[in-house]
Amino acid sequence: MQRRDFIKITAAGGAAAALEGCGNPDHHLIRFIPEEDLLPGIATWKPSICTLCPAGCGTLVRVMQGEAEVIRNGQLGILKMGLAKKIEGNPAHPINQGKLCPRGHGELQVTYHPDRIKAPLQRTGERGSGQFKEITWDEAIKQLVSQLSGVPGPSRGWWAIITSPLRGQRKTIVDEFAYALHGGHFEFEFFDSALPAVDLGQANYFISFGADFLGTWNSPVAQSISYGHMRKGRPGQRGKFVHFESRISQTAASADEWIPSRPGMDGVLALSLAHVILRDKLRPAGSAGGAAASIDGWTQGLPDFAPEKIEKQTGVPAATITRIAHESAANPPAVVLIGDSAAAHTNAVFSARAVSALNALLGSVGKPGGIAFSPALPMRGSQLLQPKSNLSHMEGPGSASFAMFRDMVTSTSKAPQVLLLHNANPVFGSAQGSQVRDLIAKSGFIASFSRFIDETSALADLILPDHSPLESWLDDALESGSAQTVVSLAPPAMAPLHNTRSMPDVLLDVAQQLGGDVAKRLPWKTYDEALKASFSELYKEKGTKNAKDADDFWSKAQEQGGWWSTDEKPSAPASAKATASPAKYAEPQFDGSANDFPFYFLPFASQMFYDGSLAHLPWMQEAPDPLSSVMWGTWVEINNRTAEKLGVKMGDTLAVASAHGTLQAPALVTPAIAPDVIAMPVGQGHTNYTRYASNRGANPISILAPMSVAGTDSLAWAATRVKISRVGEGRLVMFGASMEETPKDLKHR
Amino acid sequence: MPHQWGMVIDLDRCTGCEACVVACHAENNISTVGEDQAARGRAKHWIRVERYFEGEFPDVKTKFMPVLCQQCDAAPCEPVCPTFASYHTIEGLNGQVYNRCIGTRYCANACPYSVRFFNWYNPEWEKPLNLQLNPDVSLREVGVMEKCTFCVQRIKAGEIQAEAEKREVKDGEIQPACVQSCPTKAMVFGDLSDPDSEVSRLARGNRGIKLLGELGTLPKVTYLQKDSWHGSENA
Repeated sequence: MQRRDFIKITAAGGAAAALEGCGNPDHHLIRFIPEEDLLPGIATWKPSICTLCPAGCGTLVRVMQGEAEVIRNGQLGILKMGLAKKIEGNPAHPINQGKLCPRGHGELQVTYHPDRIKAPLQRTGERGSGQFKEITWDEAIKQLVSQLSGVPGPSRGWWAIITSPLRGQRKTIVDEFAYALHGGHFEFEFFDSALPAVDLGQANYFISFGADFLGTWNSPVAQSISYGHMRKGRPGQRGKFVHFESRISQTAASADEWIPSRPGMDGVLALSLAHVILRDKLRPAGSAGGAAASIDGWTQGLPDFAPEKIEKQTGVPAATITRIAHESAANPPAVVLIGDSAAAHTNAVFSARAVSALNALLGSVGKPGGIAFSPALPMRGSQLLQPKSNLSHMEGPGSASFAMFRDMVTSTSKAPQVLLLHNANPVFGSAQGSQVRDLIAKSGFIASFSRFIDETSALADLILPDHSPLESWLDDALESGSAQTVVSLAPPAMAPLHNTRSMPDVLLDVAQQLGGDVAKRLPWKTYDEALKASFSELYKEKGTKNAKDADDFWSKAQEQGGWWSTDEKPSAPASAKATASPAKYAEPQFDGSANDFPFYFLPFASQMFYDGSLAHLPWMQEAPDPLSSVMWGTWVEINNRTAEKLGVKMGDTLAVASAHGTLQAPALVTPAIAPDVIAMPVGQGHTNYTRYASNRGANPISILAPMSVAGTDSLAWAATRVKISRVGEGRLVMFGASMEETPKDLKHR
Repeated sequence: MPHQWGMVIDLDRCTGCEACVVACHAENNISTVGEDQAARGRAKHWIRVERYFEGEFPDVKTKFMPVLCQQCDAAPCEPVCPTFASYHTIEGLNGQVYNRCIGTRYCANACPYSVRFFNWYNPEWEKPLNLQLNPDVSLREVGVMEKCTFCVQRIKAGEIQAEAEKREVKDGEIQPACVQSCPTKAMVFGDLSDPDSEVSRLARGNRGIKLLGELGTLPKVTYLQKDSWHGSENA
């Protein structure tokens, strides 16, 4: 560069700086009159509910005055408003008691995400082309009303709404809406949300078959709190935790003993433990009660499951099983859990029944330190709050699983005439070759309430963007995670930033406009009016002790973040009924032959992205995965000895192929996985999900085989076999500050 | 006597969930750097979870250890700073004055715990992500070193509140974001100058060790070693 050019540059820079000095361009925007009365610099804390997974933790949102660029009545301007600044656990909430998991902090970034849909959109290009134009809410609702009038009808086919699993009044509104309009409400989740409340804090011995209860399964914060208590909360008493799975998961990493077992052998191992307990008379005969009759061969003492006989099949030494059986019987209360991959094999029903019989034998059902269920809501007017699962939409308001939707569309090859979507991304959550992906795209009309464009909402004809959870009224009637009855409630923590509307409010508006039965069934103008009605019912049944009148009860619940009982006993699960046919061992089936596809393929829920729905948050992308320390990407776990044999080094790109598809991802070489298993986190591999997640990594769901858990319609997502090959060198981005060797003072004692 | 803030981390409770890591980002306005910068080792995590595997399949044991600034009393980072940006506060914190820092990075070189992070670029929050920023914590510009402060903004707020109410700070009243979020209650924060505080009591326990204590850095973070099952077959 010559001196002249250099001078030129400084001059140009000076000019730019001078212009900027005239004022921040932001200040050219008009200023709206603040709608709220806030003191600058003073934080207020507002209760809310975390909606990022089905656990339903109560939160407190720190709200402070700030200036936001917002559009009001079509005009861009600056508004002084209350802005959420931080999310913390609500110490009063029975589930998470003031604590939060890493994902829970992310609702802030959901709210302030630069790629949020800011106004209703109508498709302008081809379906899936991503071309939309902004329209008004009046237009958007008019379109939805006109699409929904007349379906179902002889000439117009059927209609459906697919949501994430819903509870509380939110679920009632969707269920009633679908029922009154003769549609179906289907709930989509890739990982099943489980039901039991585990009293881990009181347990002295704890066995988990695959359940990632400290990471993502069921209610991880509640379970982590009681895990901490089990470890160090009772002076002189430290419980033991044993984990069976073919890989060290987030949860297995904290086990006293990780026992690698072959995939699908969980039921066999549970019955083998039962066999030893019966054989050596470690528990009183008959303590299994009704459960005994539900297992084939129980009364004979399960001779087929002697540890020596199943050693080879399960990969667990006989001596280990015998020892664990003796330890568990000698250290009551002992409790056994099954979940995640163990519940995703073709023989998972057998495994679950075996585990429940073992729990009965160990005397852990409905007792302190054992397994229980949250009490049923004891209200007569309970249609408002009582969760109603397992009801076919034909019998009454209720919802069915996405699997039923899948079977309906694939068996008839007929897509719905109208499809509504809320918080569900079934295109990402279904295999590449699965028909349901294509059939969703063939729906007559698709409307989505999504806050973001994702693989499924990209197909929509109309997008009616929902508020962020922090901008919405929220409610939740919990089914799990606590021994108390918990009904959470939260008013909006902040005003909406964009031109969005709450999904239940839109449905209520549409119901009123359609009139007739649906308007009668949903008589409320707004969602908060519906919530107030349900809390008035709850007050009559349960709240008279806690409040002066229904209004007082309603405002107290808003202050506290909900209502929870203080004097209830958890309900024991209904004792296992003797079924006509006792459960018999069924060998797990895998897609692909062992010769062509030598590895078991084990997808697992990601600690940061859960089922992939949180991959769009930069905090989650940059947080290193706790086990692999990988950031901004995905990986394939492979045993170090297997890798050595195949000439695979850390970070090499591997091709992983099932009979249904192929993907590529970098290898993570680790001792923490069985030599014949390949594991991969679910979460990355989005093709269309905001600037932070699109085209990053690979999606293991895409290569899964369409295997079902026998006796159910659930996807057996751990039942695929794969082969691998090295493609070449690759890149694995890891947080590199960690040390290579355990500091000597910190070795296991 | 001024407070001496310290922390205890119970490795027998820690499950490595990383709630602390994300809570810290949210509280302290730590910017994300993106994939390419992260690949160059420039991601900033004031607290990280180290994971160790011991043994070979099938006998593998795992251990997690959250590592943050140890707030050493004999801190190697402090004497090497030519501008006194790294200094020792009266309450025993390893302070970092951002507007004194000229980016020599001597402190990061001197720190044996690798808990200091340099800003290679100006941080960016794509609008409206800037609205998430905590107004109590200053933003750091390019060329400046940053690190864990034990959430000094929360410490100050707690002390000011106590002073306004003419009382002492109560034990457990002040919690850094990581401690507050931790689901297993593995982390405890408090005043080491008070022998009856929970943190002092736990730090005296027989499982307590200091990370790289042999270097003589006198850390104010005490780790409680992972325990094992003491039960027996016929307990």
